[in-house]
Amino acid sequence: MKNQKIFILSGLLPALLLVLAFTYYPFLKGIIMAFQDYKLFDLRHIRFVGFDNFKDAFHDPKFFTALKNSGYWVFFSLIFQFLFGLALALLLKKPFRGRGIFQGFAFYSWALSGFLIGMIWKWMFNSQIGVINDLLLRIGIIHERIGFLSNPKWAMTSVIIANVWYGIAFFAIMLLAALQSVPSELYEAADMDGATGVRKLWNVTLPYILPTIIATTLLRAIWIFNDPTIIYGLTNGGPAGSTHILSSLMLDKIIYAGDYGAASAIGVIMIVLLLLYTIFFLTVTKAEKVGDF
Amino acid sequence: MTNRKKVSALLLCGALSAGLLAGCGSKNDSSNESADGGQVTLRMIESLTSPKRTTLIQASIDKFEAANPDIKVELISPPFDQADNKIRTMLGAKEDIDVLEVRDLTVSEFVNNGFIEPLNEYADKWSDYSTVSAISKSLGSVGDKLYFVPNGLYERQLFYRADWFKEQNLTPPKTWDELFETAKKLTDPSKNRYGFSFRGGAGANGTTDAMVLAFNGDNVNLEDSMFTKDGKTVFSTPEAKAAIELYQKLYKEASPPDSVNWGFQEQVQAFTSGVTGMLLQDPDVIQSLQEKMAEGTWATAPLQAGPTGKALLAAGGAGWGIAAESKHKEAAWKLISFLSSPAENTEFSKAYGLIPIHTSASEDEFFKTGPYKTLLDMTNAPDTFLNFKPPFEYPGTGQWGQVEMESGQALLLGQASLDDTLKKWDSYWADQKANLKK
Repeated sequence: MKNQKIFILSGLLPALLLVLAFTYYPFLKGIIMAFQDYKLFDLRHIRFVGFDNFKDAFHDPKFFTALKNSGYWVFFSLIFQFLFGLALALLLKKPFRGRGIFQGFAFYSWALSGFLIGMIWKWMFNSQIGVINDLLLRIGIIHERIGFLSNPKWAMTSVIIANVWYGIAFFAIMLLAALQSVPSELYEAADMDGATGVRKLWNVTLPYILPTIIATTLLRAIWIFNDPTIIYGLTNGGPAGSTHILSSLMLDKIIYAGDYGAASAIGVIMIVLLLLYTIFFLTVTKAEKVGDF
Repeated sequence: MTNRKKVSALLLCGALSAGLLAGCGSKNDSSNESADGGQVTLRMIESLTSPKRTTLIQASIDKFEAANPDIKVELISPPFDQADNKIRTMLGAKEDIDVLEVRDLTVSEFVNNGFIEPLNEYADKWSDYSTVSAISKSLGSVGDKLYFVPNGLYERQLFYRADWFKEQNLTPPKTWDELFETAKKLTDPSKNRYGFSFRGGAGANGTTDAMVLAFNGDNVNLEDSMFTKDGKTVFSTPEAKAAIELYQKLYKEASPPDSVNWGFQEQVQAFTSGVTGMLLQDPDVIQSLQEKMAEGTWATAPLQAGPTGKALLAAGGAGWGIAAESKHKEAAWKLISFLSSPAENTEFSKAYGLIPIHTSASEDEFFKTGPYKTLLDMTNAPDTFLNFKPPFEYPGTGQWGQVEMESGQALLLGQASLDDTLKKWDSYWADQKANLKK
C-alpha cells in the first residue's frame, strides 16, 4: 500500500515539477517583482519599494485609459466575435458544394499569430496607402481618407475590428462542433410543431449549445483581455497611448521601459480583475443552472 | 505490478525528471564543447536585425568558419523590435553569449550593468585598428574604453523626389524653414500627395532632436549635446520652442495625417510609393529606394540647418562587443576582428548601405558618387555641419525615444500644450544629468 503511494507520487513528480517551474515560480516571482524596483537597465539597484509600483500605476493617466480600453476591447470584441462566429457556424453546418474549402478559408485567421494580424491590418488601415481607405473611396462611402490608426477617435475601433476578424474563427469552430451534436430528432419534433427557422434557432439550437457558449465566452474573454499581440502589431498602443489595454501597457513597460516592477504591478492588478470577472461569471451562470462548472 | 516493473517505472520517472531539469539549465553547454576536441562554439546575437542583414552577416560568418575550423558560430537573430530586450534578458540571466551587437543607444547601460568587456587590450594588438576612423572609435567607447567595434555608420540626409522638384522648379531645402515651405508646395491632399514623410511613431525623436539641435545651433554643447553651453537642456530655450512650433506645422500642413503613428517602414514606404516627396533617413534605405524607384526620380541632399545656418550631425551605429561572462573571449575577438577587417566591413557596408568604419574604405569610388556623395560633402563642410556627440553616456538615452514619441504624439494630436511638452522633455534630461552625477 505504502509502495503504491510512493509509486503514484513519483509518477506525478515530473508533471508537478513542470507546473512548479513554469507556472507557480513565474507567478510568485511576478508578484514579488510587483513590490520591487526592478529595472532591466539598472539591475544593480533592485530593492523592495512596497506599494510604490501600484501607486505609480494609479497615478498614471495612461493606466486609466488602458483600463477603460480593456473594457471596450473585451466587451465589443467578444460580442461581435460571438455573433459573427455563430452566423458562420450556422452557415457552415448546412451541406453545400465546396463546404470543405470554404471551411478551410473561414478558419485560417485562427492559424495566424496575433502580431502578424496586427501587422497586416496596420497596412490595410494605412490612410495613404491602405486598401481599406482605397476601397471605401472607390465605392464612394467616404470622400476623404480616414486616419484609422492616427485619429484617436478611430484607433480603438480599428483595433477592435481587427480583433473581431481574428476571433470569429474560434467561435465558429467551437459552435460548429456544438451545432453538429444537436440531435436531429429535436428539429424533427420542432418541425411537427410547426416551428419556423428563427424559432427553431431560439428554442432548440441555442438552449442545446448554451453550455458551449458559456464555456467559450468565459475562456475567450480571458484570452482577449490578456492578449496584447494584435494591438502591439497594429498600433503599439499609439497614438499617444490611446489604444493601450492593460496587457499591452504591461508589455510596453517591459519592452520600452525595461521596468519589470511596474509591469508586474499591472499584471497583479489584471489577475485581480480576472478573478473578480470569473467569480461574477460563474455565479451568474450557476444561478441560471446552465453552467457545467 | 511486479517489483521489477515498479523499479523500472521508478527509474524511468527519475530519468525523465532529471532530463527535464537538465533541459532547464543549458548554461554549461558550450564550455563542455570546448573541452572535447578543442572545438569552440561561439554564441552571437545581433540587434538591428532584418532578413537581408542577417543573410549578409551569416555569409561573413561562413567565411570565418571556413578559415577557422576549430570555431563554430551560432548566430541568434531575434525580431528587431525585441532584440535589445532579448539581449538584456540573456545577459541579465548570465546566459551563454559570447559576441553581441551593442548599440550606441545601449552601450552605457550595458557598461553600467557590467555586461560587456572593454576591448582595448585586444584592439591594441589588432593590425587593422589604425585605419578605424576616429568617429567609429568614439562611437564604440564609453569614457576612454572601447566596448564595441562598429559594423558601419549611419548618418542622416535628405532624400527627395527629384522629378516632383523639377515639375515645380524647386531646389532642395537648405534650412528647416525652407524644408517646410517646400513641403507645403508639394502637398496636395486631393492627389494623396504630401511634402514630407513624417515619422511620429517609433523613432520620432530623430526629427525633433535634429530640429531642436539645429535651431539651438552654435549654442549646443557638442560634447554633451542635450545641453547648451551654459548647462541648460536644449529643450529649455526659446529656440527649441520655435523648432517644435515648426515641427507641428510640418505635420499639420505638409505631412499625411496618418503619419503621427508611422515608424521607419511606413515612412519609407510612403516615399517609395509616391505619397510623400521628402524623406529624412540613414543610408541604409538607399538600397530599397534603388530597388523600388526608377532611376532619376529621387536624389539626396544634406541635412537641413537651423536659422543660424548650422546643422548638427552625428553618426550613429552598432557593432560587435564581447560579453563579460563569455568563456571564449579570445575566439570572440578573433571573430570580431575578422568581421571588422577592412575587406569584410567594406563589403558589408556596400551591400547594406552604410558608411564603412575604415578611413581607407571611404576612398573607394563607390562612396564618392551617387547617393553617398552627400554624406562625404557634409563631412567636408565642418563649419556648417557641426559634429556632435549623442548623449549615449546617459543610461536613459535608450528610453528617450519612447518618452519623446508618446508626448510628441499627444502634442501633435492637440492633447498636450507645447509648453508642457517642452517642460517634460527639459526635465527628462535635467533628471538624467542629476542622476549621472550621483
